[in-house]
Amino acid sequence: MRARSVLWLLAVLVLLLGACAAPQQAPEGQAPAPAVEEPMEEPAEPLILRLGQNAADLRSLDPHFATTTQDRSLVDMVFNALLRYKPGNGAFELMEPDLAEDFPTMEMVDGKQVWTFKLRQGVMCHPSEVTEAYELTAEDVVYSLEKAATPERSAYAGEYNGMTFEAVDDYTVRITLETPLSPVLFYPKVANYSGGMIVCKKAIEAMGDEAFKTAPVGTGPFMFASYSPQEKVVLAANPDYFRGRPKLDGVEMRYIPDISSREAGLLAGELDVINGIPDIAWVDRMKGEGDVQVDVFGVGEVATVHFNMTKPPLDIPEVRKALAYALDRDEFLALFGEPIAENVYSPVPAKFLAGGLTREEVEALGLAYDVDRERARQMLADAGFPDGFDLEVVSSEMTGYRRIYESMQAQLAEIGVRLKVNIVDHSTMHSLIRQDVNPIVVYIAWRPNADVYLTRFFHSDSIVVTGAKPDTNFSHYDRIDDLIEQARGETDPEQQIQLWKEAQIQILEDMAAYPLHYQQQVYARRANVDYGHELVSVFALYPGIDENTTIQR
Amino acid sequence: MESTLPAAPAAPELRTQRQRAWHTFKRNRTALVGLAMVVLVALVAIFSDTVLIAPLTDAEPTPLLAPYDPTIQDPRNRLLPPSWEHPMGLDTYGRDIFSRILYGARVSLMVGILSVALGGILGVILGLVAGYSGGAAEQWIMRSVDVLMAFPSLLMGLMVLAVLGSGLTKMIIAIGIMLAPGFVRVVHGATLGAKQNDYILAARAIGAGHPRILFRHLLPNILGEVVVLASIWVASAIRVEASLSFIGLGVSPPTPAWGTMIREGVQYLTTAPWIALFPGLAILFTVLAFNLLGDGLRDVLDPKSYQ
Repeated sequence: MRARSVLWLLAVLVLLLGACAAPQQAPEGQAPAPAVEEPMEEPAEPLILRLGQNAADLRSLDPHFATTTQDRSLVDMVFNALLRYKPGNGAFELMEPDLAEDFPTMEMVDGKQVWTFKLRQGVMCHPSEVTEAYELTAEDVVYSLEKAATPERSAYAGEYNGMTFEAVDDYTVRITLETPLSPVLFYPKVANYSGGMIVCKKAIEAMGDEAFKTAPVGTGPFMFASYSPQEKVVLAANPDYFRGRPKLDGVEMRYIPDISSREAGLLAGELDVINGIPDIAWVDRMKGEGDVQVDVFGVGEVATVHFNMTKPPLDIPEVRKALAYALDRDEFLALFGEPIAENVYSPVPAKFLAGGLTREEVEALGLAYDVDRERARQMLADAGFPDGFDLEVVSSEMTGYRRIYESMQAQLAEIGVRLKVNIVDHSTMHSLIRQDVNPIVVYIAWRPNADVYLTRFFHSDSIVVTGAKPDTNFSHYDRIDDLIEQARGETDPEQQIQLWKEAQIQILEDMAAYPLHYQQQVYARRANVDYGHELVSVFALYPGIDENTTIQR
Repeated sequence: MESTLPAAPAAPELRTQRQRAWHTFKRNRTALVGLAMVVLVALVAIFSDTVLIAPLTDAEPTPLLAPYDPTIQDPRNRLLPPSWEHPMGLDTYGRDIFSRILYGARVSLMVGILSVALGGILGVILGLVAGYSGGAAEQWIMRSVDVLMAFPSLLMGLMVLAVLGSGLTKMIIAIGIMLAPGFVRVVHGATLGAKQNDYILAARAIGAGHPRILFRHLLPNILGEVVVLASIWVASAIRVEASLSFIGLGVSPPTPAWGTMIREGVQYLTTAPWIALFPGLAILFTVLAFNLLGDGLRDVLDPKSYQ
């Protein structure tokens, strides 16, 4: 009896639920849905490329403040510049016009260098929440370059000192330089890297600088669509892109700092591209996965050991040289494996940039500092440290840094130098080394040309804490200012390269810094992802996603 | 008026109690296994190198049980799989994992024992005072303990390390502070029960001062529970140390610590699983050892087990 009651109750419930789930009536004035569905063509699944990036969140999508890989890669897709590096290959010789119709003309007027750019017509700024799409003109370009040159509104303002910008007409921009520069130094300042990215004036004025950092508006192949903090940024294809509509419908940049999660996502097909580990063991394993391809490409970020010449006993040149002779480049290299990393012999990497010294050149000069620990011990003893000495440094927890410091610790122990390594998080390390805490600083960085490398790491103005414009001169080095400035003003490329080399020879002779190796970029992708270009070197340190990138489905 | 004081336990009776406890312990096989495992870990920690003998000979410690110096790197042979030469393989720097595990026992045991000792001392003092004195002191101490116990142990350790900074000593202090509230709560409860006993009344009657009552009469009677708790919490402390080391707040390199070793091996789980596997097993072994020992001690020191 009881069971029957329950059954009745269930039957009533089913009927009630059925009534609730009945199809909703079409609104008045519309025909009811046909009883039999007509065969309909299913809409094609949008082609969204999902990129798993090694970061917890974005920092700033204002291109003039984008300094990290995760920000630079997004900015690269949203913005253009007057000139650009060829997609997939950052060689200077291959640069091409971007927003400009052609390379600029140069003339000298009253001792000043004047570069004139003709702009493409019909380039559209993306629509945004505060502005409609509109045509980019010289007014936007001048506004953007002036912003890049303003210290409060740009992290790259120093690079535009002594420059004035002028809109001659809607499609002509004139840039005047107090001090002439060679194309090798001038073009990167107006190229698609750092301050050269062109922002849309109306949009940034309407929303303000702060809002622009999370809602950028440019002219690139992809438009900003949405941002979910610590989760992802979504970009949509720009249908009005001047090089044609992108083949992809959009890009999702997902923030996944854990490599295991990124890797699992890629293997499960939930991600299309991931930032990998700079380790040959990982590369080899991923290559063994069926549908995965691994790309190892430049540009290589150069790892350099900077000796703080103001901290005893590193103020003694013989001690610094002894430490250099104790270090073995090949041991450091083995921790990453070729071709992920390759040795370098001068602060400017000769493989990627003009002005670097090759191995043969430094060996001919006797400045390669090949490992010789017996000699190192003797030099330390001669300098009054037969039993070595103690040093204490902070290191980032990031693999690239930690491995170098820990390997250095073991290598220096061989000559009696006891290095205590305190591990801190990455941003803390950056903060502490800029407070001059470390007697030895390992710094891994890419800079777009020899002048930037030498100025930021070895010009006295850039000395940390005490420099006129404190930057990353961790060595407190001040002996090549003249050479750097002379090279900067030199317009003959060959002479300029010669001056850069001379500067680096001096650095090596003084052993202010010991160049270790460059570490290349490692990304893995599903085999059906086609970047649309060959990958040789990308300044933004990611594979470069543009209008030609696609996914074969 | 004449009061009858309970007779003090006679010495032979005490010996009998100890004998009975040892007899019970010996009959508990899991406890014996736990003890043997703990002794093994302790021996490994002590004799991984000649650190005990070195001061006598005025020489630098050299590996004894460990086949290699755990800090010597061989990057050209990194990630070498286990072999006769290197039974647990080589890590990302080409260091011998077996030697690092033996040396790593030192950090784990040191953190486990010292942090529990620190937490135990703090907890016993505060718990005794709270339980014995009652009133406002008890309220303050116990409500503070309630607040501290609301935080998960790892979070608590992280908070303390965020204030103190990382390093071995600071980690011992952090874990000690993390464990102290648990000791306070247990000791407080035990003291509340023990202080009702006649011998406390008797001690008061003969004019014993509070410190004497606390440390001569109350403490010995609740020590059994503290010892059981401590032996189990050594395992927890080792686990927390490994967790903190795993997230990068452990000892400075190149000192081997099991948690740090697992952290280093995580990104090679599929290519070189031995890097994370063996330190993981070492933690499992040691935590299990202390848990088994703790269980055995509880059986022995629990009066009900005699019945």
